[in-house]
Amino acid sequence: MDIEAGLRRPKIDVHAHVSGAEVSCDALLASGDPVGVREFWCSRPITGGRIAPHEEVRRQNDEILRAMALRPGRIRGMCFVIPGHYREALAEVERCLDAGMIGIKLYNQYKISDPAVGPVLALARERRVPVLEHAGYLTGTEHLSQQPLISHGADFAAASERHPDTVLIHAHISGGGDWEWTVRAVRDASPNVYIDTSGSNLDDGQVEFAAAELGAGRVLFGSDGTMSGSVGKVLDAALTDEEKEMIFWGNAERILAAQGKKPLHPRSQPERSQP
Amino acid sequence: MIIDVNAWLGGWPFRSLRDNTPEALVARMDRSGIDVAAVSPIEAIFHRNVQPANERLAEAVTPFRGRLIPIATLNPTYTRWEDDLKACHEKLGMKGVRLFPAYQGFEVDGPVARRAAEACRERGLAIFIPHRMEDPRQRHWMDPGKVVDPAQIASLVAAVPGLTVIVPNLRGVARSALWKRPEVRDQPWYVDLSLGEVHRDLGTFVEQGGASHLVFGTHLPLSYAGPALVKRAILPVDADTLEDISHRHAAKILGL
Repeated sequence: MDIEAGLRRPKIDVHAHVSGAEVSCDALLASGDPVGVREFWCSRPITGGRIAPHEEVRRQNDEILRAMALRPGRIRGMCFVIPGHYREALAEVERCLDAGMIGIKLYNQYKISDPAVGPVLALARERRVPVLEHAGYLTGTEHLSQQPLISHGADFAAASERHPDTVLIHAHISGGGDWEWTVRAVRDASPNVYIDTSGSNLDDGQVEFAAAELGAGRVLFGSDGTMSGSVGKVLDAALTDEEKEMIFWGNAERILAAQGKKPLHPRSQPERSQP
Repeated sequence: MIIDVNAWLGGWPFRSLRDNTPEALVARMDRSGIDVAAVSPIEAIFHRNVQPANERLAEAVTPFRGRLIPIATLNPTYTRWEDDLKACHEKLGMKGVRLFPAYQGFEVDGPVARRAAEACRERGLAIFIPHRMEDPRQRHWMDPGKVVDPAQIASLVAAVPGLTVIVPNLRGVARSALWKRPEVRDQPWYVDLSLGEVHRDLGTFVEQGGASHLVFGTHLPLSYAGPALVKRAILPVDADTLEDISHRHAAKILGL
């Protein structure tokens, strides 16, 4: 395993969080610079399953717009919404996408298969943007009781049946929960269902398992704050160089291309020192 | 040179593992650039009488002398555990002791742990207390899925000064009682690189002067080796300190 070469390999982190403060942006960039992350897809969700007022949701997204303005060469935005307020949610998605965001972020206010989420998924298809949803198959009631509406692989499979053309990203393969269960449950879903590599659980074999079940073309590099852990597990995975290239860069590039966008910097451009 | 203080052999009851035989683990170490690993049998975590597993471990690593260092599993709640400790140290050549309070049913800051710790200190053996074996959010219904409270480990360190304690698989060391309690801070305790993040935790820890408490550890074959190797590559330390973290601290701990 050539760690140094792996760190130099350019990466797009599809699952990152930041605030609109300069110090937060700099901290995010500082976490990614040493490991080769060129751009970050960032959101600022309301967690804990809370149904927050629309004004609060809008403020969260304004923070992301500020971060995008502060570091336009590195930070892209994912618009967080609470789908149950669907008129406000749809208007907010339109506002954020028109302001330059490239995707939608959902948390655990609703399962992704809930019909209430449908209008948001339909709009995502129309705008050709991905939907990243917080996910995991929690096995212990003590954990599940804290987020009863967290989505898992079977929920993504069900949602993709109704919205096969919408790009859905199952967040963090190992963000907590039985990763083998949730990956297997996605097995027969639409090919537009992806999974990201983030999560603090670093169990050996998880990236290969996802690639074997879904194909490496449906695995995206994401950190969700576990930056060196997420890079390390992809570098250590028993996959080909081409498969790792797809995970670190190519798959995200393809998702951007569907909406007529490109990565913020060409893959071949030297990293760091970009604003 | 790299010494991994956090490696295992055998099967985890709740998930299939690869590279968990001595031959396969050494091959994985070779691919990962890891020279030496301190190993224990996973199944001993669940055994009442752990000594047969310790004996099998000693036999299993014999062909890999210099690459796999055997670490005893001790069950301090079991009758005549002192005999096991003596045999592991004097006959089987074990270089340390692993304790599993969440699985063996004792408190880390209680009298059972203290007696075991004092016995290990007397023999100059380090004790390893993993913060966790697996992420509790995916726990099998038969797994207690508990983590060890670092504050309790700090209390044990305070109660048995001079004892060498390694706490693998810990996140958040910079905020932990091990680092915050002044009477514990300079004791010989260590955490490994397996789970903590550089930008969230380990970097701050190093900036605050904690590098002397760091050792290299992966949690192979339960976890990938890559994350610890990435952290080793980007830790904000000078070359000499990196050598300490990569192998010198471990060599001292294991008496190599």
